Amino acid sequence: MLKLFLWLRYLRKKKIVFLSIAAVALSVALLIVVSSLFTGFINVFEQSAVETIGDVVLAPPIRFAKYRVLIERLEQTSAVDAATATLSAQGLLYLGQGNVRRVSVWGIEPGPREKVTGFKRSLLKQKESPESPGEPSFKVSGFPEGIGGFVGVGVVAAPDEKTDEYDFDAVEKMVGQQVVLITGTVIENSKQEGTGGAGGRLKKKTVPFRIADIVFTGVYYVDKTFIYLPIEEVQKTLYPNEDGQIADQIQIKLAGDVEADVAKAQIRGVWKVFADEQLGWGPYLIRETSVKTAKQMQSQYVAELRKQMGVLLLIFVVVSISVVVLIFCIFYMIVSIKQRDIAIIKSCGTASSSVALIFVGFGACVGIIGSGIGAALGYVITKNINTIEEWIRIIFGLKLWKSSVYMFSKIPSEVNWVWALVFVLLAIVAAAIGTLIPAIVAARTRPVEILRYE
Amino acid sequence: MDIEYRMMNFEVLRERAMYKIILAIRYLLKRRIAYFAVLAVALCVFIVVIVMTVLTGLVTDFKQKNHSFVGDCVVGTESLVGFAYYEDFMKILERSDFVEEISPVIKSYALVSPVETERNVGVEIMGIDPVKHSQVTGFGQTLYYRKDDVSKAFEPAYEPNLAGCVIGIDLALQRDAKGRYPYGSGPTEMALSISCFPLTAKGALAKAGAGLVNTKTFYHSNNSESGLARVDGSMVYLPFEQAQLLCGMAGPVKRVNAIHIKFKPNMGLEAGCEEVDSLWQSFGREKADEKQAYLLEKVTVQSWKDYRRAFIAAMEKEQTMMTALFALVGITTVFIVFVVFYMIISHKSKDIGILKSIGVSNANIIKLFSGFAFLVGLLGSGVGVFAGWLFLLKINRIEDWLFARFEFQLWDRTIYAIGDIPNQVDAKVLAVIIFSAIVACWVGALVPSWQAAKQKPVETLQVTQL
Repeated sequence: MLKLFLWLRYLRKKKIVFLSIAAVALSVALLIVVSSLFTGFINVFEQSAVETIGDVVLAPPIRFAKYRVLIERLEQTSAVDAATATLSAQGLLYLGQGNVRRVSVWGIEPGPREKVTGFKRSLLKQKESPESPGEPSFKVSGFPEGIGGFVGVGVVAAPDEKTDEYDFDAVEKMVGQQVVLITGTVIENSKQEGTGGAGGRLKKKTVPFRIADIVFTGVYYVDKTFIYLPIEEVQKTLYPNEDGQIADQIQIKLAGDVEADVAKAQIRGVWKVFADEQLGWGPYLIRETSVKTAKQMQSQYVAELRKQMGVLLLIFVVVSISVVVLIFCIFYMIVSIKQRDIAIIKSCGTASSSVALIFVGFGACVGIIGSGIGAALGYVITKNINTIEEWIRIIFGLKLWKSSVYMFSKIPSEVNWVWALVFVLLAIVAAAIGTLIPAIVAARTRPVEILRYE
Repeated sequence: MDIEYRMMNFEVLRERAMYKIILAIRYLLKRRIAYFAVLAVALCVFIVVIVMTVLTGLVTDFKQKNHSFVGDCVVGTESLVGFAYYEDFMKILERSDFVEEISPVIKSYALVSPVETERNVGVEIMGIDPVKHSQVTGFGQTLYYRKDDVSKAFEPAYEPNLAGCVIGIDLALQRDAKGRYPYGSGPTEMALSISCFPLTAKGALAKAGAGLVNTKTFYHSNNSESGLARVDGSMVYLPFEQAQLLCGMAGPVKRVNAIHIKFKPNMGLEAGCEEVDSLWQSFGREKADEKQAYLLEKVTVQSWKDYRRAFIAAMEKEQTMMTALFALVGITTVFIVFVVFYMIISHKSKDIGILKSIGVSNANIIKLFSGFAFLVGLLGSGVGVFAGWLFLLKINRIEDWLFARFEFQLWDRTIYAIGDIPNQVDAKVLAVIIFSAIVACWVGALVPSWQAAKQKPVETLQVTQL
């Protein structure tokens, strides 16, 4: 009771204590914001990979046929919810009037892809159109016979320099427009005579198609790079002489509660039997087939991001040590000024340890209040980080976050409560540590010296 | 008489100033609590010096690489169609007294396929005259093989008669953990089939109905390592004439996408760009009646900084954000200085009372504590700068040791095109940090100093207070 009374009294009377609360709050808020933004970015990065390529990707070293058989077998296992095939290539896209882009081409099946990645929600026209319920489609209204394709929003337009937003009205007007893709593959190899070097005939293929829809995933790289065509068209263009359904990757969505390692083992088992029976592949090709989760595929970059976050947090934690110094100074001052209080308490029989605890406890209280305010501040800043960034743009004309630099169009704004809790606890401990020496000084106060008449 | 009077005044001033210096030093040495203020300032300065030196080094290095890649100024258009009559404008530039060298450049996208493979890679192509371009930019220095003879950049050493191409290093090789590339003794014997859309002056496909694309085989002759990840990971350099043919720009009226310019040493960047812009405007008027004059309307004159603004601005913004974060953290240092001064002043009320009773003004009391704050700031930043400098001196060795021991690197060199950690301390950055630290101390000491100045000797020197 005495401790509580003194804590409240010091808090009320010694306004300087509020400085230490403010410093703790500032440091905790800063650390929470930095850690939340970093972990938010990492989570969105990992999630975007899952939304682009599914939970698990099966990628053999060379393309393979009869993928529908494989998908059927995979979907029969308990680990796999859905699977879809892709056939990829690189190309140049002519959009008209001197406008050429280099693109990555994915041959896809829109229906199965929707089941694996929820692809339809990225399609500007079809996602909410009552005319296209159910699965997404490559059909272009008014051109039933022509080839349709989806094009990333960044392929056909660039975000506004100031706002970093696309002009979606202008972009949607491109739906139905004809564009031309060139891609190619080696169809004949030969040694060129007299050159001494290797030679060959590379057949370039042109694929005119109409834009059936625009893809906006919010992931800059994906929107800027990818176009999507029917897988059979890509196969017909690249490998006209190959029979069966050709794919170079299977993207898989796992069943809800299955563990990734268990699922991977099941998928590899199915693949082994399929490649052996249906493709007649030897052990080398089967072994070289990669079966990885989307997260594993991003792991090197994610590890780098985590490391950078660690380095940045370490720097801020080191700088935040000055908060301990501040608390020490303030408490040292309080102890110096309140020597008579301490002497009176001790003369009433209070033990030295109890006197020390008054100040350590008070320090912990400062830590609790400061970190509480800091956590609230960190939460508010993180949650409203996009609004804050927008205001900075409006007031200072400085666009801090650009999707072309940071991949995503929005700043991730989820608070990382685990890190927040760590920083709150650290702040309380640091505040208590800052009071240790003043508390010892207070405990060693001798009433007989302080309370002498002269 | 005048000199004597001045000398006397000087002596009086010196004596008046002396007590402030003595007291400030005395407080600093005798009041151990002041050490904490010095420690806090030193800690903050130490961290800021390290972070800012590394960041500034990265930004400066990145800017230098961009400057080296572009030259001083670019007259060009973003459209892949390019612009015509460039040869006439080049003659005008050659005649001017402020231009040292110029280099016409073709830029486009192409599909590259290593012959006898099934791989296609979309790349950017740059058609250049290697000698001219090396005189304008640092292209020659980015080459790995035959750096001393840039004219042979497009001559494959294994077969000089073949058309060669220079490949951006990240397209050809992967960096190891130390950021080095596993170069061979010579360029790999490799044929690349390069295709692109030839465009008419109107931007339409030049070969409509006839395969649509131009394709030619080039042979790997060299590698370019500009140090710019986006360039090295996507650029293939081709001989100027060949690239012009491939892109459909070698018709009766030839076109290019850009002219890169290097100014003479005595010409400033902005002034040079203004001169070029002025020449370009009058050139545009002169050619207004020509058939393809409409292409000149989209051409802009930009300094290398504006030309690469999108890339440079991103790094500068990160630097600004870090500075803002450290400014926030630095507030704690202001608080510490405030508390320390508050304590010292509350313990030194008798000193202040005596000083005021012998006629020292309020302003001089504030000056005394401002001087003390200055000493705290100077000493703290001195210690912080020295410690930071020592750390920076060893930072690469520390990283090497951490990598050898724990496989820890500040940046994974297989991902980032960064060499050593920048550790060259910039005097300007240092001056700004020290100045900021001293200002922070002054701000922290302001309120306590004001309170000290407001103290009344009649109250502080009462016998009951003594």
